[in-house]
Amino acid sequence: MKIKVNDVHKFYGSGDSRVEVLRGINCEIRDGEICVLLGPSGSGKSTLLNIIGGIEAADAGCVDIGEDCTKNMNEKELTLYRRNHLGFVFQFYNLVPNLTLKENIEVCAYLSKNPLDIDELLKTLGLYEHKDKLPSQLSGGQQQRCAIGRALIKNPSILLCDEPTGALDYQTSKEILSLIEQVNKKYRNTIVIVTHNDAIKNMANHVLKMRDGMIVSDYVNENPISAGQLEW
Amino acid sequence: MRNPLCKRYPREFKKNAARYICTFLLLVITIIIGSGFLCVMEGVKYSLDEYLIENKVEDGYFETAFPLDDNVKSKLEEEDIVLSDNFYSTTEEFDGDTKVYVFNERKEMNLPAVFEGKLPNSPNEIAVDRLFAENHDISVGDSIELSKIKFTVSGTVSLPDYSSLFLNNQDFVMNPIGFGVCMVSEEGFERFDESTITYRYSYRHNDQNLSDKEKSDAANRIVRLLVDNGANVQEFLTSKNNQSISFVMNDVGKDGPVIEVFVYILVLIIAFVFAVLSAHTIEEEAPIIGTLRSMGYKKRELILHYITPPIIVTLLAAAVGNALGYTVMIEPFKEIYYKSYCLPPLTLQFNRAAFIKTTIIPVAIMIVINLVLLVNKMSLSPLRFLRKDLKKRKQKKAARLPNFKFTTRFRIRVILQNKGSYIILFFGIFLSSFLLMFGIGLKPLMDNYVDTIDDTLPYEYQYILKVPVEAEGGEKVLIYSLETAYYMTGSNVEVTFYGIQEDSKIFDGFTIPTEQNHIVVSDSLAKKLKVNAGDEIIFEDTVYEKKYTLVVDEICPYTNNLGAYMSINQLCKLLEKDAGTFNCYVSQEKLDIDDAYIAKFMDRKDFLGAAKQMMVSFEEVIAVMNVFSVFAYLVLMYLLTKIVIDKNSLYISFMKVFGYEKTEIRKLYLDASAIVAMVSLLVCLPLEAYLFKMVMEYISSLIEGYVYFYMPVWVYAEIIVIGAVSYFAINALHMQKVKRIPMNEALKNRE
Repeated sequence: MKIKVNDVHKFYGSGDSRVEVLRGINCEIRDGEICVLLGPSGSGKSTLLNIIGGIEAADAGCVDIGEDCTKNMNEKELTLYRRNHLGFVFQFYNLVPNLTLKENIEVCAYLSKNPLDIDELLKTLGLYEHKDKLPSQLSGGQQQRCAIGRALIKNPSILLCDEPTGALDYQTSKEILSLIEQVNKKYRNTIVIVTHNDAIKNMANHVLKMRDGMIVSDYVNENPISAGQLEW
Repeated sequence: MRNPLCKRYPREFKKNAARYICTFLLLVITIIIGSGFLCVMEGVKYSLDEYLIENKVEDGYFETAFPLDDNVKSKLEEEDIVLSDNFYSTTEEFDGDTKVYVFNERKEMNLPAVFEGKLPNSPNEIAVDRLFAENHDISVGDSIELSKIKFTVSGTVSLPDYSSLFLNNQDFVMNPIGFGVCMVSEEGFERFDESTITYRYSYRHNDQNLSDKEKSDAANRIVRLLVDNGANVQEFLTSKNNQSISFVMNDVGKDGPVIEVFVYILVLIIAFVFAVLSAHTIEEEAPIIGTLRSMGYKKRELILHYITPPIIVTLLAAAVGNALGYTVMIEPFKEIYYKSYCLPPLTLQFNRAAFIKTTIIPVAIMIVINLVLLVNKMSLSPLRFLRKDLKKRKQKKAARLPNFKFTTRFRIRVILQNKGSYIILFFGIFLSSFLLMFGIGLKPLMDNYVDTIDDTLPYEYQYILKVPVEAEGGEKVLIYSLETAYYMTGSNVEVTFYGIQEDSKIFDGFTIPTEQNHIVVSDSLAKKLKVNAGDEIIFEDTVYEKKYTLVVDEICPYTNNLGAYMSINQLCKLLEKDAGTFNCYVSQEKLDIDDAYIAKFMDRKDFLGAAKQMMVSFEEVIAVMNVFSVFAYLVLMYLLTKIVIDKNSLYISFMKVFGYEKTEIRKLYLDASAIVAMVSLLVCLPLEAYLFKMVMEYISSLIEGYVYFYMPVWVYAEIIVIGAVSYFAINALHMQKVKRIPMNEALKNRE
């Protein structure tokens, strides 16, 4: 599903402490591509991701998702938009502590009319043998894989990942990025990854660099490398 | 597909078993008390209503010094009433100091209901009131002696005109141990000496649909007719004013709202406890909620998820509470009524109103309170949950604290952080302490009541006469009853007027007013009517339809009844009676008066006995109340102070990493709760005492007397000690929990 961001502005605070965190963002993320949103802390990349995801509203401008504009959606429609089209992966996995891995994934399968096969997904995620364990019994990488599985089970057309490797070590980070790549190939969903890790741009089809609330670079990576080859 | 979040419920119940078991038990006990009590109460009401109709309770009675002649009787019957002799013999000597009225067989009204055995049908047989029999270990077949006459107990019964055993209508409480009623056959009644017999006549209107006003008018006409025809009326009471008949009806009816309010307040507190716990869970799970909302979970779905555990607990508690309330708890609750009143056999029915009050309304309270909280909490955006930013209003700056030492400031911060829990804790402590105050404080209050009467009662013996006879050693008194409006109920209360000698040696301690229309009132009357010296009171003679406006000169310390005192000459003048008219003797020594001339005799123990007996019937209720309040203390303190530890477990873990010792951690976190609990306990005491006083005012409004509020210091001390011990027992449990918080928690949770 195509995402089009049109002149999006966002402010935080008021009066003297009012800060413009997004200063007229324009970009287009094509259907089925992996787009990496790169930038230092405070550049506004997470805010942009949240606006695309409909969990934060733009103060000006709009985001078109396919044929729909999120600006015209009320709260209920935004919920349905997220329910039907989006999957979210966060830096902290936010798994339900007293549900097993499989049940954590089922939590989102419940929201979909046509969810993917859970066992097959668990195998893809390499979690099948851990499916009956609680999150506290698993490593951070395994928990993040589960969080990705939870986001994917609905077979969303857009997968939004906010610093998905931010809490993970080098090796586990690469495994997670490989998984995201694998998912993109298998399910053809549009994936937006927010990161401050410059190396990750090399696996993307499309790179957006942000600084001080503006896109300073927007280019298509003609020769993405596989996640396994990434180094930092 | 079933929502997978539902799988959390059994795990949630297992994880927080102590929390759910405690609230469940508190709710079960609350609902048991509500359903069991209301079910029995409604059953008693129903049985009593049926009983009073079927057994034809009287509409009123009067007692005369001598039997009425047939001419007067037929004139009375022209008032469209059935008149029936209801003579009784008074025996003084049963079981030491118990007074017993033995009634003649009843045929037309006030028919007895048999509990066990049968009615007497031979001169040697007697039927004994069921409660009186139980209190004196009398069984069917036993032999008892009354006025030196032997009888065999043929059965136990209840008499509809004595459902409450009031010896005197002005008594503050019933006296089921010091007073009893029995019934014998006509032949049996002939065995009693004429001098012991009181000529009581009961009447019943042929038209049972008369209004209270019509009944009152008819009563006035009856009295006037009696007086006009020369009958010496000693006492006249309509059943509405007769505590022996009306008290149980008022009491049974009045208990209901008190119990309902008790149930609702407790459910409200438990609902708030759940709300605080849910709020804590939401804070703890905020990122998960944010994630689920981001993924498309609707607010409604998550509200339903978080409201389900309290509803499951409430529904389960309602089911168990009702099941126990309607079965095993019936007997104990029945005892409360049947130990106090002489009631007919109980007919229990399923009571829809009680079910709604004890089940539907508590569940509704639980749903509404939790729904309001959850809707409010869930109104935040998913992003706010993800950022754990759940404050509705942004706290711009930390509250400025004076330059206290570090630990004090830290504790204040903990208190501010948990103010929601502490507010609920305050109300929980208030309610539990109030129940405890009621349980502990009722006995000293009653003892004080008895002592005050004992200290202030000016005479030892009171003889109300059938005819004025001369007797040496006593002071002549004219006793007369007038009524006055009572602001609290809107109806009238009866005031006993004492016309006393101007040079009285018995009524001392105040100046007997000699001025016309001036009175001295007893302290209990002044308190009940809230009048002071100099105020005017309007009294009404309902028989002669006359009104008197009298000025209060002084308030005397008497507390035994609602009394007004004036000179006998002034009272005679006021009532337009001949100078020197009297109908009573009071004395410090027993007087030599022929029994034939005495209508009613009372001594000091009669005035004190009823109040003394009250505690006997209340003992079990008080014990249950005390156990329940301590349990409520423990549960509420445990749940609400545990939140403080749960909320801060990460920081406690940090403290351990920093090198804080357990006692230091306790000082920072647990002592904050201890301070709040102890301060709440102390602050609540005067509020509870005030509420207790209000309750006593309310009780006083229901009875023909006035109950003084009295609470000795040791009651307050005992409440504080029980509260403190309960808290420190809980604190010890919390210390164990603090000890178990691992240090690596701080290192694991990096968010």
